[in-house]
Amino acid sequence: MIKLEHISKWVTTAGLRTFLLKDINLTINEGEFLSIMGPSGSGKSTLLNVIGMLDDANEGEYNFLGQPIHTLKEKQRSQLYKQYIGFVFQAYHLIDELTVYENIETPLLYQDTKSAERKAMVADILDRFNIVGKKDLFPSQLSGGQQQLVGIARALISSPKLILADEPTGNLNSKQGEEIMDLFRKLNEEDGVTIIQVTHSEKNAGYGNRIIHLLDGRIEQPR
Amino acid sequence: MLKNYFKIAFRNIFMHKAYAAINIVGLAIGMAACLLILQYVNHELSYDQFHVQKDRIYRVTQDRYDNGVLSTQWAAGAYAVGNSFKDAFPEIADYVKMTQAGSVVVKENNNLFKIEQTYFATPSFFTVFSYPLLHGDAATALKEPYHSVISATMAKKIFGTDQVLGKTMLVNNDKLYTISGVMADMPENTHFSTEMLFSYSSFLDLVGPNNTPETAWSWDGCLTYLLLKKGTDPVKLEKKFPALVQAKSGEELKRFNAGVTYHLQPLTDIHLYSNRMMEARANGDGKTTYLMLGIALFIVVIAWINYINLATAKAISRAKEVGIRKVIGSQRKQLIGQFLFESGLLNAMAIILAALIIAVSIPSFNRITGHHLDFSILQKPAFWGSLLLLFLAGTFLSGIYPALVLSGFKPITVLKGKLVNTTQGIILRKSLVVFQFAASLFLLIGTLTVSKQVSYMKKQELGMQVDQVLVIKPPIVARDSTFMNQMTAFKQSLVSQPGISAITASSSIPGEPVMWNAGGIRLLSQDDKAAKQYRVIAIDYDYVPLYGLKLIAGRNFSKEFGTDRKAVIFNQSGIQQLGFQKPAEAIGKQIFFWGDTLSIAGVVSNFHQQSLRDAFEPLILRSAPDVRGYFSVKVAAGNIEPAIKTIQQSWNSFFPGNTFEYFFLDEHFNEQYKADQRFGTVFGIFTWLAIFVACLGLFGLASFTTLQRTKEIGIRKVLGASVVSILNLLYKEFVVLIGIAFLLAVPIGWYANHLWLQGYAFRINLSPLLFLMPLVLILIVAFLTVSLQTIRAALANPITSLRTE
Repeated sequence: MIKLEHISKWVTTAGLRTFLLKDINLTINEGEFLSIMGPSGSGKSTLLNVIGMLDDANEGEYNFLGQPIHTLKEKQRSQLYKQYIGFVFQAYHLIDELTVYENIETPLLYQDTKSAERKAMVADILDRFNIVGKKDLFPSQLSGGQQQLVGIARALISSPKLILADEPTGNLNSKQGEEIMDLFRKLNEEDGVTIIQVTHSEKNAGYGNRIIHLLDGRIEQPR
Repeated sequence: MLKNYFKIAFRNIFMHKAYAAINIVGLAIGMAACLLILQYVNHELSYDQFHVQKDRIYRVTQDRYDNGVLSTQWAAGAYAVGNSFKDAFPEIADYVKMTQAGSVVVKENNNLFKIEQTYFATPSFFTVFSYPLLHGDAATALKEPYHSVISATMAKKIFGTDQVLGKTMLVNNDKLYTISGVMADMPENTHFSTEMLFSYSSFLDLVGPNNTPETAWSWDGCLTYLLLKKGTDPVKLEKKFPALVQAKSGEELKRFNAGVTYHLQPLTDIHLYSNRMMEARANGDGKTTYLMLGIALFIVVIAWINYINLATAKAISRAKEVGIRKVIGSQRKQLIGQFLFESGLLNAMAIILAALIIAVSIPSFNRITGHHLDFSILQKPAFWGSLLLLFLAGTFLSGIYPALVLSGFKPITVLKGKLVNTTQGIILRKSLVVFQFAASLFLLIGTLTVSKQVSYMKKQELGMQVDQVLVIKPPIVARDSTFMNQMTAFKQSLVSQPGISAITASSSIPGEPVMWNAGGIRLLSQDDKAAKQYRVIAIDYDYVPLYGLKLIAGRNFSKEFGTDRKAVIFNQSGIQQLGFQKPAEAIGKQIFFWGDTLSIAGVVSNFHQQSLRDAFEPLILRSAPDVRGYFSVKVAAGNIEPAIKTIQQSWNSFFPGNTFEYFFLDEHFNEQYKADQRFGTVFGIFTWLAIFVACLGLFGLASFTTLQRTKEIGIRKVLGASVVSILNLLYKEFVVLIGIAFLLAVPIGWYANHLWLQGYAFRINLSPLLFLMPLVLILIVAFLTVSLQTIRAALANPITSLRTE
């Protein structure tokens, strides 16, 4: 599904290159649940952003579902990730001015899904996540765990093949965190969604079926 | 999708009420002001646009030269022009000739009706122009001698009905006219206004067979309009005029070393761009009209800038939403659409508020501008057109930049909270603020100059006394043979009355152009080539003392000098044009005046016959004890009512059949400043509106920048900064911006003022104070505006601001 070859990314300050990612080679198959670990500043989030097409690498090749991403235009990439990728953030990143229902519905609006179909899909996912009762609340009226549930529901609404999660439990207490991780595992196992998560926690990393460690922009010990 | 945008936009408006209010109120004021001014400008631009053949109708204007120097510029020219041009140039399809018949009195059923500004006009009047004729035949209504066309309103006034075709009316107790047509009342927006027209053939009959206007090239006073054939180039036609003029009157002109040129003035240009002798009515001013349009645009642009500034300053709070939307699949163009939609929504709300403001302020607007706007503007497509245009332009112009900025955010940057205000954005915002203040300063400088100039003109010594003078309009119905006796008796009857100190008769009164222009005047000793043109007022013995004219050489006319009918008094300009440096040198010299020899009895110092807009003109006061014109009566203060009664009684007994109409000369004189004053007031009001809108924006911007610097202020205070030094820090920025704005506004303001003041013969100097006062005012206003935010920030306890980190 994903194939990274010799991916490098750097910033140049005062003529000096500082590598954020250096010569990353990584293949991820459909149905995997991959955890990326490493200390702060090791390049975990950068790698996730490159995979999620939110950021460009300076060097190397990136193939996603057989498409050479590094040669595609902005618009084509946007089409791709709109269709196949869902994001989950540490800080949830819900739109504050929209209700739970509207937040979940928004990606469908951008995909021009018909109104009746949209309603059915949102209702379905609200039901599945057990948050029907909260659909008219605004994000500020929810707990952190509930907000993250909404965030995941929004990521899943357009049935992506791949979920990218950047420390999804970082702002949550351990009980809420466990619930979220259980949900991820279930999605991976029952629905076959490929998941890549960045995490600090060994315990959370254990939910996945493969772990890579980053240090100073390099993959330390691909297992 | 729209529903989603709508929700977001509405919730944003509600969440940031102050921000939305600043934008909506500012935009609404800007739009309302703009729309009101546009209506006014539209009206001014609509003059004579209703004539079907307007593109082919030209007025022939006349310029006269003495010794090769331009001397007088006329709206009305020689009588021979129309028919001679038509005969000579095949490009001319038709022509209209009109000449003033002045004020007339119509007697019907023993009631007297005075009709002012009547004209003799050729039959083509109703076929060339598009003034509709309600009854009668347009082609022939003005054909026969002693036929007349009157307006529907006038017909109803005189006869009680507009079914008056074929009726006769006695005009000036002299001639009987047959009514051959009833025309619709003339619209307001035409350069020309009358309620009664007489056939031009009546005029020819009245002047008698010995006078031949149709071949007269030096008898002026005839308005001539040409209808050109389709496809005629007026510039080319105009070039053919000199040869014809040379052939017809070249000899005569040469004898006086004079010249005359004729020009074609488009009919639709007359109202805004013509200010010549013998205009059919006081025209508008194109410069003022476009200046108003400029002010309208300034205000609305200032409001748009507010939107741009506040929207980009506030961008940070929207950045996260942009990031999220991009991540969940929004394309940039969809985001641009969303933000344009929001600006459209705000503009729409502003339009609604603007419509309310307009509805509420129409009466005041009319009172201030003397304009006649009413709610019927709501039925005009032009109004809705400009409204729609303003809405679209506002939405797009104010919305597009913030939309581009906001939609350009990179999701990973904003979602990580790393977004900082780019210097580019800050520089743009500052430039826009500079523009707003430069515009405000410019307007303020302008409004101050206008008001200073108006008060200067009103306060200046006129060189004559117009206070306590009551003017009676000339009697119209009177026999020439008995007039002298009637008039003398009338004057005699009044002089002895209490409360009346003097009375004089004259052909012109102060406060209006002198209607009598005489060319061919020279010293007797000179030949015709030295002849020049002068304005002439016929006066009796009492004119000079009553008006307090200052004799600087010679004497006033006096009954003690038997030959005083042959005497004239010059003003200083007149003496100079005649070629004398010292007034005393001119005394006793003889001049040639249309075949008469007159001698100079006195010289008066220059006085302001008209407003200070006009320069002193060379003037001859000609002795004419029997002049039939205005009576000026000097009345004592505090005794005016009984004096008027006395005068009216005398009038009725000595001038039966004439209406008694009077006015006070000082008021009449100040009428000349009405347009300037009005312009000053309107200018002032809209300037303050512009400043208010600019300050709304400044207030919004100050609150954002202060908010952004809260942490900095906290740290500085912890380090020991005083409140004053914090305030200095915050004010410095705005003071610098206003300083730059000032540097921009001064040269432009200076130049615009200079141009505007050129229109006045007597004008104020452009003192530095005219520029510094606006600067101080703007500084104070801006200072107060910013203070509303900054003082709170500077006084705040640093613990609060730092703890939030």
